[in-house]
Amino acid sequence: MKALWFHLMPYPALDERFDREARSAWVDLDASFLDGEVIHRAYNTYLDQLEHAAAAGFDGICVNEHHQSAYGMVPSPNLMAATLARNTERVAIVVMGNSIALYNPPVRVAEELAMIDVLSNGRLVAGFPVGTSMDTCYSYGINPGQLRARYAEAHDLIMQAWQSPKPFAFNGRYTKLRYVNSSPRPLQRPHPPVWIPGGGSSVETWDLAATHDYVYAYLSYYGYESGKLTMDGFWQYVTDRGLDDNPYRAAFLQFVCVADTDAEARTLYREPVEYFYRRTLKIGAGFEGAPGYQSEATFRSSLSSQVRRAARAVGGAPPTFDEIVDRGWVIAGSPDTVRERLNESITELRFGHLLCLVQIGNMRDELVRMNTTLFADKVLPGLRGRWPGYEDRWWPRACS
Amino acid sequence: MQLIYLHGIAGGPALSPAMASLAAGGFDIVAPRLPGFDGRPGFQAPHDHLEWLTRVWDVLDETGALPCPVIGASIGAMFAAELAIFRPEAVTKVALLAPLGICDPAHLGVDLYALPGSQRLSTLFAGPVPAPFDTAFAELGEEQGVARYLAQVAGASLVWPIPDRDLDLRIHRIRRPSLVFWGALDKIAPVALAARWASDGSAVIVENAGHLLEWDAPELVAERLRRFIDDEG
Repeated sequence: MKALWFHLMPYPALDERFDREARSAWVDLDASFLDGEVIHRAYNTYLDQLEHAAAAGFDGICVNEHHQSAYGMVPSPNLMAATLARNTERVAIVVMGNSIALYNPPVRVAEELAMIDVLSNGRLVAGFPVGTSMDTCYSYGINPGQLRARYAEAHDLIMQAWQSPKPFAFNGRYTKLRYVNSSPRPLQRPHPPVWIPGGGSSVETWDLAATHDYVYAYLSYYGYESGKLTMDGFWQYVTDRGLDDNPYRAAFLQFVCVADTDAEARTLYREPVEYFYRRTLKIGAGFEGAPGYQSEATFRSSLSSQVRRAARAVGGAPPTFDEIVDRGWVIAGSPDTVRERLNESITELRFGHLLCLVQIGNMRDELVRMNTTLFADKVLPGLRGRWPGYEDRWWPRACS
Repeated sequence: MQLIYLHGIAGGPALSPAMASLAAGGFDIVAPRLPGFDGRPGFQAPHDHLEWLTRVWDVLDETGALPCPVIGASIGAMFAAELAIFRPEAVTKVALLAPLGICDPAHLGVDLYALPGSQRLSTLFAGPVPAPFDTAFAELGEEQGVARYLAQVAGASLVWPIPDRDLDLRIHRIRRPSLVFWGALDKIAPVALAARWASDGSAVIVENAGHLLEWDAPELVAERLRRFIDDEG
């Protein structure tokens, strides 16, 4: 079992004016809500937290990509990953974006990720999310009806750019290049492990992961009980494709809040968790679902399948912290409580990579570090023994 | 006389009341559904504007109605204009009702797709949403939800991210008789854009009408279209 420390890097100072006046933390949030000095301090604090997590014993540290968002302030995760590659030694550097449909030519992504892999001495995990509707269609203006095709084409180009021994020509619908000869190539051969993050509603994401033998990383904000519907669907899809049931095929994201006691956890973490759900997850109506962002197949499945049930389970107004914890969206409590509930989710959802969201919302630095240390010292050892006998084929060898 | 009507961004019913009025007056209205707007499964958005034009022209050629007058609304007007520009032999006259395809950041209009889904349709009209739109695809039963979604996918792909396809670079190539209409209350393509399409001030501005003006002001639009097709130019 591997545990990874995932940082969304949220803007930590949205206030009551935001509640009153802003309709969305994404896409069209007025710049007056964001203070450059706050972002300066946050960036540096957040990078320090990731390095602290590496030192504390997490297996991987993760950054991701969002645009025009107070939810996540990292339009370029590669810049953050480059810094982390220099300041860490054995931990995996997990870049859970690049949203590859956004870049033309996509060889830029192949080049930058290869640079990180070389810089880190082969510790890169390359995440290829499609990206949210807000990031791709609204902030970057990608035509939603073309998003999946652009993504698929970019994926093919990047993988060829990493692996082809010789220069080649690429004739795609969206990218046409006479000479593709990316340099440097990744240190890991034939290529770094590829993970496909997704929000759980896309049949195409499951298909991509299964077809290419990649990791499917389900990024859930709604805990393992609703996540089970999606993960069951994924595992059924994998089984139907005749693939093995190696739990390391899957990663699952979970908010964790550890304190000395259950009662203390409910006191300490209330504010940052509510900040996350009420402020950074405030998304303008319309932005979540550009027409065409979902394929016809996924739209149909959302009408009739487990995804719809999951959507029903998470609908409604932002709940209180106690409701959030009771529903399992956030696992909060003593080390024993957190370990017990995580073990349940690992069993129920069958995943080998646990993506821990340890910094949440506007959580102050001391609490983040306490949460990190308690998890690493008192929770993680009780998870390590899970999945004996399975090989993690989706992990950088330099980090094994 | 036969003429072609190309529907607007909402798709939906085959004939607007303005077109029905023209039909009642003796015109033979050919009203093909644009790709994606028929709700058939398997629609994939074209990868660029040229592929859109190719697919729309295939649809128009299949009607067998060309050459003839072409009336277009909204995105349909964009295609009607492109037809007159690139295939002038196929068009005898062209009427453009609030054409999309030229965007001015100073007159941006509402982003239809930044609205909640429940508000999108109503934004296209000055008055209430006409009843036929509420029942579009009802005949498909359980499939109507998918059909409506695919029609939205098609519409969005034609105007994403802004409704500009560089028509301003080529509308001077329209050499056939043309007439531009605009709804004074158009929320998604503000009436100020009418001057970009008809710089001589000849655009017909229809009061109390929104983007789909042939629904908001059917008799006025039909009467003016009838005169244009019958008598003018």
